[in-house]
Amino acid sequence: MRPAGWLAVCILTLCLFALLGCTPEVVREEVVREVEVVVTATPGPGGSAQTGQTSAPVGQAPDPTPGQQAASTTQPAAATPAPPTTTDATENVYQLGISADLTTTNYWAYLGPDGTIWNLYVLGGGKPVLYTYSAQRFDWVPSLAADFPTALAEETVGGQTFWTTEVPLKQGVKWSDGNDVTAEDFAFTAHTAAELELSGNWPSIVDPEFFDHAEALDPYRLKIFFKQKPGLARWQFGQAFMPILSKAYWEPVVAEAKQAGEIIEQQKALYAHVPENEPTAGGFGFSKWERGAFAEKERNPDYYFADSTVTQYASGAYAESKPGAYEFAAYGAPGGDKTLEYTTGPYADSAIYSIYGSQDATVLALKKGDIDFMLNPLGLSRGLQEQLEGEDGLTVIENPSTGVRYLGFNFRREPMDNKAFRQAVATLIDKEFLTSTVLQGVAIPMYTMVPEGNVAWYNADVPLIGQGLSRGERIAQAVQMLKDAGFTWETEPRISEDGRFVEQPGEGLKMPNGEPVPEMDILAPSPGYDPLRSTFAIWIERWLNEVGIPVRADLTGFNLIVEKVFDQQDFDMWILGWRLTLYPDYLEAFFHSRHAGLEGHNAGGYNNPEFDRLADQLLAETDVETARQQVFEMQAFLADDLPYVVLFDTPLVEAYRSDRITYPYTDSLGGLQNASGLTTLVQFK
Amino acid sequence: MTSYLARRAGQMVLTLFLIVTLTFFLVQAQPGDYATFYSLNPDIPAEAREQIKASFGLDKPLWQQYLVHMKNTFTGNFGVSFGHYPRPVMEVLAERLPRTVVLFLSATAVSFYVGFFLGKAIAWRRGGVLEYAATISGATLFTAFTPAFALMMIWIFAFKLGWLPVGKFLDPLIWRGAEVSANHVFSYMLATAAVFIAFAFLTLLAARKLGRLGTGRMPFLVIAGGAAVIPIVWAFTGVGYLALDILRHMILPIATLTLISFAGTMLLTRNSMLETMREDYVMAARAKGLPEKVVRDRHAARNALLPVITSLVYSLIFAIDGSVIIEGVFSWPGTGMTLLEAVRSEDLPLVMGSMVFIGLFSLLAHVIVDVLYVYLDPRIRYQ
Repeated sequence: MRPAGWLAVCILTLCLFALLGCTPEVVREEVVREVEVVVTATPGPGGSAQTGQTSAPVGQAPDPTPGQQAASTTQPAAATPAPPTTTDATENVYQLGISADLTTTNYWAYLGPDGTIWNLYVLGGGKPVLYTYSAQRFDWVPSLAADFPTALAEETVGGQTFWTTEVPLKQGVKWSDGNDVTAEDFAFTAHTAAELELSGNWPSIVDPEFFDHAEALDPYRLKIFFKQKPGLARWQFGQAFMPILSKAYWEPVVAEAKQAGEIIEQQKALYAHVPENEPTAGGFGFSKWERGAFAEKERNPDYYFADSTVTQYASGAYAESKPGAYEFAAYGAPGGDKTLEYTTGPYADSAIYSIYGSQDATVLALKKGDIDFMLNPLGLSRGLQEQLEGEDGLTVIENPSTGVRYLGFNFRREPMDNKAFRQAVATLIDKEFLTSTVLQGVAIPMYTMVPEGNVAWYNADVPLIGQGLSRGERIAQAVQMLKDAGFTWETEPRISEDGRFVEQPGEGLKMPNGEPVPEMDILAPSPGYDPLRSTFAIWIERWLNEVGIPVRADLTGFNLIVEKVFDQQDFDMWILGWRLTLYPDYLEAFFHSRHAGLEGHNAGGYNNPEFDRLADQLLAETDVETARQQVFEMQAFLADDLPYVVLFDTPLVEAYRSDRITYPYTDSLGGLQNASGLTTLVQFK
Repeated sequence: MTSYLARRAGQMVLTLFLIVTLTFFLVQAQPGDYATFYSLNPDIPAEAREQIKASFGLDKPLWQQYLVHMKNTFTGNFGVSFGHYPRPVMEVLAERLPRTVVLFLSATAVSFYVGFFLGKAIAWRRGGVLEYAATISGATLFTAFTPAFALMMIWIFAFKLGWLPVGKFLDPLIWRGAEVSANHVFSYMLATAAVFIAFAFLTLLAARKLGRLGTGRMPFLVIAGGAAVIPIVWAFTGVGYLALDILRHMILPIATLTLISFAGTMLLTRNSMLETMREDYVMAARAKGLPEKVVRDRHAARNALLPVITSLVYSLIFAIDGSVIIEGVFSWPGTGMTLLEAVRSEDLPLVMGSMVFIGLFSLLAHVIVDVLYVYLDPRIRYQ
């Protein structure tokens, strides 16, 4: 064949490839036109996660919307739609910016292997739950449940002993296919998660070690059977938050998935299902997902909780009512000063989540008015905050976040296993100087593992090691601590007369057994990844070196730190962070000795029987008040024993178009993004 | 030629094997694996994490994972993406590929045209203002820091002037009522481009066969006529307004890419032209008294085209790779961003799938260039 012929063949082949490549996509990419009604936003699956993930199945914070009702219909696609005009389309459209695409619209998968933060923003809170957190205060309040559950009772059935509880459900709450939301739906969801051994977040919601089965005593009365007595983390702050899926829709899908063979294949079959016309209940219905571009939820005009009013009082009382439907009050008699009051919407006709490739592009879109609010787990950087603060029509808000950055010790190595050494290190770290002077206020010093914003569980009365001391006092105190514990120096550090600097750095530090203190590394993220943590690491290195502790800051990649600390446990000290849940049962996960094995979350190998006892008590506790006292005690214990030196957290900065929208409140732990942008409460000017 | 192509096909398979192997071990060399993401959530029990590892096949020894991936690669089944679990890799790639191809093919074509046109002009009129202006501005833009320049373009044209959208490839307010997906429209656009290119090529081929009958402006008029039919056809599809929206979103990234990259083609054309203009046949053409335009376009530029076309073909094929930076800044979710996300999260099947595609197309590009050389320069023959 002649060259021209070959060339023609090549070009035509390429053209053919292009055509073939297009064809199957056309078939696959049928646009789903359904109305999935989003139910009360829920706290979602509880979860703490190591900070630094691009996506994380973290616990969603409180959605203020109290309950759910479904009334959605499938909307058949019109034949040839007329091009919509932008003017029509912008009417009451709440536009949010997100930085990554969804990976699924399947709720089983979203709480399983697809638990990304972006899925959480769009899908989270989209299903009925028995109980939820109230806005701002995070009171535990009923959602689908009509009232609080009965106390856990021991009961023997068929020779087997269970711990049981009963939950009354609201009547009249319907799925969008017209069926009532009943106890059967709850039982079906929980049984499916347990039987298919669903992965990801599911085991923390339906814990197979506790949950046995659930029964519908009648459509509106649920009875749950636990194998062993569940603590707050497993029941009230665990399974009670389980999203409930429609049995009528999912039962045949689950039945088909169960035919897929091995359990992993069954899960895969379930996760692979693309929901179409899935009945739901809530303020918005999932209507469209244009992959890589945007997702849209449309308002449900029959939302049951629309026009319901929530009132919170300074006395601690919580009241919720909907005229002619229900009234609920808890935590004291309603009355006195109101701290928060709002009426549930939704007021927007639609919520659109536009996907932007970078935070800079999202901020430009916000400034231009293309979006009203941006959802980002890390909030705005200081530079962007300053850029937006002077902009007309924009309001910048700052909230405490639900995270913590810490310095951890490897208890398997000397001298990190020495309490005096750890306390000396904590004394030498001047968090206030770093956060206010070096970092110019972008971080907040912390002393306990529960953020101050988590008011109900935060213990302000913990040992504040080193707080308020001058440089000289810190060094003197740390040196004394080490001396008292038996540490010695070849050359002891000497401080200047005015106490402002070290004239003679310490040298030749020896442990109580006479061995020299070995060279140690502090693994910390590099400045490119997190300048705050790397700054802390560099200063800690400097301060420790001044007193003769031979330590070196090793600034490296996040994944490498994770591998060395959690997978290999080959390290001396490390600086990382956690995103935290509201209910602080993570204290058990991080510090109980049972989690000290490879890949466990107690990577430092902290092992204190006294703390283990406190942690076990917390896990088993079923009373909130008692649990609170236990958490307080654990915080005080940890602040003194110091498996972690808690360093700091950063406030969460967000911005919204105040010339277009308004929220009933903007003060919220974790920011408005933690409540998915308050879609059911946002109003338009 | 046939035996040459057969030999090249064998080389391609071997090279592809090496690319896939290297990619696999490079990704594996990163600390952690995809399941690390789950190991950092204390609420996910150890058993559940192990189960996730098992479902991804990450619990198997490295050599077994390697064999699985090699088998998948050479059977065309790239497995299931971890990050989009349980979507097949091919489905994810098929979703992203049209977007990248549409944007980067268009940008490459525009950039090539601008570069070639300017290169030709400045070579012909050396020392003029145009040469200095084009060379200085082209070289300056060529060395610009791409993310900053792209953001500056958005800031000026989208934010300050408000003429164009801030990134993305569509306007949700226009598309929220659409009954077709964007990939539908992208596919139609690609199909249109493919049909048009084939039509233009066949027209030119036919013109060549017709000899004198096919000379002059006739073939170009036929091609122009074909081009004129395109908007008419689109108008009847009912999705023309959606394609227009995509085109509107393409303006800024294409302009940015063109400004950044036209200098390469321009300088290549200029140098090639300067070489060609010293040839005897150019002097002969001038001596015959042919108009300057004819000498430049028909005699000098055509012969100077060879290295430029080679560069263009490579650019076109590498367009499927996209650009992580441009796609990121302009929020254009194509294969470049997909590959970056996959590497970051160690979504091994998706990385392997992307690399195989890129490798395959780049190898194919080399073969096409070889064939093209023979077509463009009859003196070249492969044994």
